[in-house]
Formats: sequence, structure tokens, C-alpha cells
Amino acid sequence: MTKEEIIEKVNSVLAEEFEVEESVITPDAVIKNALELDSLSLVDLVALIDQEFGVKISNAELPTIKTFADLYTYIESHQA
Amino acid sequence: MLYEGEAIKTLIPQRDPIMMVDKVWSAEGDTAVTGLTVTDRNYFLEDGLVAEPGLIEHIAQSASAFAGHRARVAGQEAPIGYIGEVKKFRLYRRPAVGEELRTVITMGTEVNGITLVRGEVRSNDELLAETQMKIFCE
Repeated sequence: MTKEEIIEKVNSVLAEEFEVEESVITPDAVIKNALELDSLSLVDLVALIDQEFGVKISNAELPTIKTFADLYTYIESHQA
Repeated sequence: MLYEGEAIKTLIPQRDPIMMVDKVWSAEGDTAVTGLTVTDRNYFLEDGLVAEPGLIEHIAQSASAFAGHRARVAGQEAPIGYIGEVKKFRLYRRPAVGEELRTVITMGTEVNGITLVRGEVRSNDELLAETQMKIFCE
């Protein structure tokens, strides 16, 4: 999957799951703020990325993924 | 059969009248199968059928029993778990007195001590209820 395909799919599935407009999902936006995540919905985010991309985000690496750009890059570098 | 009757009490903190698991059939990897025979003494009975909260409680206690088993295998004490969220609960039929429930618990993603759990409750292979829940273990 190319970076562009990852971005398109991430934006689409996250907008649907967290019921936000895709326009709030921009590379520099902070994920936690844009998706209004709390400790419970953060689990949904990690599960969704695993389900859709087969990429497991570890507890140790999770704090390093702050923006959507971070997430796109993480998925790109960890996909099978 | 891994646990039955009194042995379940080594896995979960609940006691009568709200113990909603009476068997753990198997536990392997991220999946366990638990059981409950619905008796006329069941705390969650309404009009002879188990009410929705009873099925949610059954799934939660099943997950707790699974976590307790895993802890025992690892030589640790069974953790205390708290339901953080119930999501996508679907009820197809409420079980009656005498039915034997078999429930498949699948442990999913874990983030900072919060685990995504999926549960499917069946009776004679008929799917009665299913849900996702998030459980926090301490």
C-alpha cells in the first residue's frame, strides 16, 4: 500500500469510526484532539489500525504517535 | 473442563447470588470458552428469562475468569477487572431456566491496561447475544 493509499484509508476509517468530518483529519492535527480520544477510545484506535492494516501499535510506541502524519508514517513503516 | 463450581471462585471475586459463570471449558491463546447453567435462583431472571444486564455480566465475568486463569498459569494472583465500556451489544434471544450457556471470549487489543474483549453467548449453538467490552485490570 502506498503512502497516499494509507492516508486515504486512514482518514476514511477514522472519520467513520469516530464520527468526525474528514476535514478535521489533517497531517499536522493532533490525533487525540481531532478525534476527541479518551483512554477507552484510544483502544478502539489501536484495534482499528490492527484490523485495517495489520499493524500493531505497541504501548511503548503509542506515545510517539501524536499527529496523523506520525500515524501515516508508522503504518507505512510497519506494514507487512 | 478446566474449572467448575467452587474452583471458579479462585478466578473471579463475585459470589452468590451474582456469580454468572460456573464452568471454564477451555482457555488457549487469546480465546476461552466458559459456561453457565441458568437456574431458577439466577439473580438476573425476569419472567423466567435472563435479562440483558445478566448476559452482559456473564460475558464480563467470563472475561474475568479467563484473565484469572491466565494469571494463575503465570503464577500470579487473579486480577480485579472493571468494565470500562460495553459496545455493540446485540441480543437475539434471552435464555430460559435450564439452558446451558456456552460463551466464547476473545481477548483483543490491550492499551495501557485496558483490554478490548469480544464475547459471544450461545445455547445449543444458537447465538443468543454478543458484545464488545473494554475491561480495565489492576
